[in-house]
Amino acid sequence: MEIQEINRNIYDIKNKDEYDYKIKKGLTHEIIEEISKQKKDPEWMREFRLKALDVYNKLELPTWGPDLSELNMEEIATYVRPKTGLSNSWEDVPEDIKSTFDKLGIPEAEKTSLAGVGAQYDSEVVYHSMKEELIKQGVIYTDMETAVREYPELVKTHFMKCVPVNDHKFVALHGAVWSGGSFVYVPKGVKVDIPLQSYFRLNSPESGQFEHTLIIVDEEASLHFIEGCSAPKYNKVNLHAGCVELYVKDNAYLRYSTIENWSKNMLNLNTKKAIVGKNAKMEWVSGSFGSKISMLYPMSILNGDGAKTEYTGISFAGGGQNLDNGFKVIHNSANTSSVVNAKSISKNGGKCTYRGLVRINENAKNSKSSVSCESLMLDDVSISDTIPTNDIRTDEVEFSHEAKIGKISEKTIFYLMSRGLSEEDAKAMIVRGFASPIAKELPVEYAVEMNNLINLELDQP
Amino acid sequence: MVKNTKERMPSMVDYSERGDMEMLKLNEIPVRTSKNFDINNIELEEHNILNNIEQFKNITITEENCKIENNTSNIELVYGLGKILTNQVKMQANQKLKLTIDNKQYKENQIEFKFDSNNVNLVEDIEIIANQNSESTVIIKYLSDENVQAYHNGILRVNAKKNSKIDIIIFNMMNIKSNNFIAIQNIGEEDSKVNFIIIDFGGNKSVTNYYSNLIGEKSNNTINTIYLGKENQIFDLNYIVELKGEKSNTNIEVQGALKDVAKKHFKGTIDFKKGCKKSTGNENESCMLLSDTARSISLPMLLCSEEEVEGNHSNSAGKIGEKELFYIMSRGFEIKDAMKLMVKAKFNKILENIKDEELKEQILNEIDNRLS
Amino acid sequence: MTKDLLEIKDLYVKAEEKEILKGINIKIRKGEIHVIMGPNGSGKTTTANAILNNPSYKKTQGKIIFEEQDITNIKTDEIARKGIFMSFQLPEEIPGVSVTNFLKYAKNKVTGKPIKIFEFKGELKKYMEELNMNPKNIERSLNVGFSGGEKKKNEILQMLVLNPKLAILDETDSGLDVDAIKTVSKGIEMFKNENNAVLIITHNTKILHSLKVDYVHVLVNGKIVKTGTQELAKEIEEKGYGQYK
Repeated sequence: MEIQEINRNIYDIKNKDEYDYKIKKGLTHEIIEEISKQKKDPEWMREFRLKALDVYNKLELPTWGPDLSELNMEEIATYVRPKTGLSNSWEDVPEDIKSTFDKLGIPEAEKTSLAGVGAQYDSEVVYHSMKEELIKQGVIYTDMETAVREYPELVKTHFMKCVPVNDHKFVALHGAVWSGGSFVYVPKGVKVDIPLQSYFRLNSPESGQFEHTLIIVDEEASLHFIEGCSAPKYNKVNLHAGCVELYVKDNAYLRYSTIENWSKNMLNLNTKKAIVGKNAKMEWVSGSFGSKISMLYPMSILNGDGAKTEYTGISFAGGGQNLDNGFKVIHNSANTSSVVNAKSISKNGGKCTYRGLVRINENAKNSKSSVSCESLMLDDVSISDTIPTNDIRTDEVEFSHEAKIGKISEKTIFYLMSRGLSEEDAKAMIVRGFASPIAKELPVEYAVEMNNLINLELDQP
Repeated sequence: MVKNTKERMPSMVDYSERGDMEMLKLNEIPVRTSKNFDINNIELEEHNILNNIEQFKNITITEENCKIENNTSNIELVYGLGKILTNQVKMQANQKLKLTIDNKQYKENQIEFKFDSNNVNLVEDIEIIANQNSESTVIIKYLSDENVQAYHNGILRVNAKKNSKIDIIIFNMMNIKSNNFIAIQNIGEEDSKVNFIIIDFGGNKSVTNYYSNLIGEKSNNTINTIYLGKENQIFDLNYIVELKGEKSNTNIEVQGALKDVAKKHFKGTIDFKKGCKKSTGNENESCMLLSDTARSISLPMLLCSEEEVEGNHSNSAGKIGEKELFYIMSRGFEIKDAMKLMVKAKFNKILENIKDEELKEQILNEIDNRLS
Repeated sequence: MTKDLLEIKDLYVKAEEKEILKGINIKIRKGEIHVIMGPNGSGKTTTANAILNNPSYKKTQGKIIFEEQDITNIKTDEIARKGIFMSFQLPEEIPGVSVTNFLKYAKNKVTGKPIKIFEFKGELKKYMEELNMNPKNIERSLNVGFSGGEKKKNEILQMLVLNPKLAILDETDSGLDVDAIKTVSKGIEMFKNENNAVLIITHNTKILHSLKVDYVHVLVNGKIVKTGTQELAKEIEEKGYGQYK
């Protein structure tokens, strides 16, 4: 097994804090108006933002889960716009931004003939490219602002319809201040056979990131979308409240893979939901590293007959981290199925929580769901909790749930050491093995990155 | 349809002097989850708290060598069902029993409460002290006449001292017009073995809080529960086991069946606390859905802040297998009888832990009655 | 150069606060096959674990010398890298780590040299054929879902690949059918040469039908009560351990 040593520093490069516009710190109607103006929003979007702000002001913080009291919204500048506008080719991207991306491997990804790269720098998409054949097939892949202007009908009928603005406080906030993100539309019957990927990161003190991802995979179409994040370290609290809306229409297929590796001071309160149509399939592959607090519960709503979903996820919490992650699925129709495979690793006083929901509604006859959670405790100062809710409202179902908590057994370590591995190597091998079902679901360069992240986390004293 | 956990509870007596009705929030789970999941607690709207509780006399005690007093020590509950119900027992208990079981000889004791038109409300406080090296069985039964609309609010505290072994069987056979609230608290000391068997059949609402504090090294606590719900019965079971002593062990097994529009919330928490190295905790919950309108919610929690432990839970729900049903019917059983047979077969795993044959027979008959 | 490979001197070992080994002495030279026989609970597995310095077993007295070096208290992985291998009675399951990757990694650790993939795979394939192993197994997770026999063969495969100076086989023959025992013996024969040695730990004598051994030690109640040649194994097969109790 190859272990590639990488230096944590490459994930922590700070760019000179260059931005040409930064809004006032508080959050008022005036500010939202200003954002809207700056964004050149159409009227409907302006109204939408203002309405979302009202909802935001009405909603309370959640009364469950990690303690968010350190969060002071008044102090978080919500909108930072880098100097560069949109670029069509790599040459046009400014040097310092480019060098950061270089170290993050963006051009590499391009070289390896990935379909397109949409990289978000701060709140704006600065670089974008896409293979011509995809354009010919009618695939739209652009940044969200452009989509609002150029595909108003598509956006209007889908924007925050999957994740309603009153879902929770941070969704409402997102609705009011969202900025940047990707828009993908795959037309009927079009199969995109290479993964589309987007890479975004935060890079300004006190800036929140509120990118919006909207993906529509039309009937009989298919797509694999990859989103990766890493962020440099800053001292002040950072908030990430993005929103991902996925529409998988009848007979369509979508795989959404993501490795989130936020800096260790980030509060990651991301909301992700998919609506899955008749005989369609939605697959989630999710790696959650980094961040100080994470509340991340992707959700599939199985609305069509025979809709299917799968979730494969891993969380790794080190010292000072509280990762509250999980998966939610609502079975709304007959013959639907869901498979959940969630793993977590806690170390150095880190806390991992699996918090999930399976709801099989009255009309979801002949549906199946199986959930498996596995937690690994690497020492006795860490915490691992499993809090799954299973709500079964009809009888013709097959539902099962399993969870396990344990540590690496002394016997297993001895076995591996008897084969010449040091104790650290033995532990690392067991942990990588534990994570391998997730690594297997990722494209190879992401799997390598994930293994590197695991090694980095294990090396932390 | 009734909205999720908010249920209307019929008032039992008119207490106009009380002014407003209480909205009861009962059975809070130790770690909250999303409100939308409807499982953090059970809310009973417009619940009247009796402030005048008459006597309850219909009690039969069969004891063997057990010291029984009509006075208990002060009530301290870590969880309980909620302040209001706990206070009711503190202030207004109309039955107080303290059982002290001394060492050596094996003992079996039975307490039977029977509700009828003269004994409608029971607010009782039972304390069981299983002294060092003692071995015993305590059976507590709650029965009711067909027509009485009974009310039961009870607290049962168990203290299992060093190396004691105690089996406690609670059999709730109340009718489905009544309401049943019970809060159990167990403290397990070194090398103690506490086995609970809870047969939960009765009550329009049957709400159970079970808290076990395994403080001693190698303390052991098993909980075996079966519940059976029909019509609009609601069961809310909130079990919490905290493991604190090294090499302690808990095993929670819950088997249930629901028909008509019956509903069950099962919240089972195994909490591995700091210091419980080499402990194990297993929880298995399974619900048979006998109608397409029954509803089963479960939240099997594993909380862990210690490393050298093994925790497992599993949870399943679904209807009786068509193949098995077909097989039994091919042997001449009517569907109803085939179903009963399957339910009893499923429950057998738990029932076989009951050594008292007479009691087992009574439970099996009750299953037949309730499924008819 | 001396032919001495391993020497156990007056070794006392405790496991879970109980004294298991009560002063054993064994000397193994290059080119030899030794057998430790004994009834259940006599301390056989403890002996193997003590050589590999399993932290669950505490040495209270005595020494273990390997190639003139005191290895009594050095870490398991270093002992492995010095050339001692142990085939486990109950091999551990490692989900998510394939047999190939594991062996490649372990071989790299033991030899300290980079592994040439092509050669390595060829070698692996050859051994697996000899051991009648399903070639598909090498992509499966290590020992996960393997039958008892598959696990034991996998241990022998590891022995062949890692090519130690001393191989300790702890109950490798137990629970196997006649054919599997033959395969295991074949593996031992393939491995054995004049520069290495084998220590077989077993409670029955079946494997000795298809393998020639040099020394047989009878271990009862933490002590070696008799040492002899293959003849001694036959005697025990006929009379059992009763006479030593």
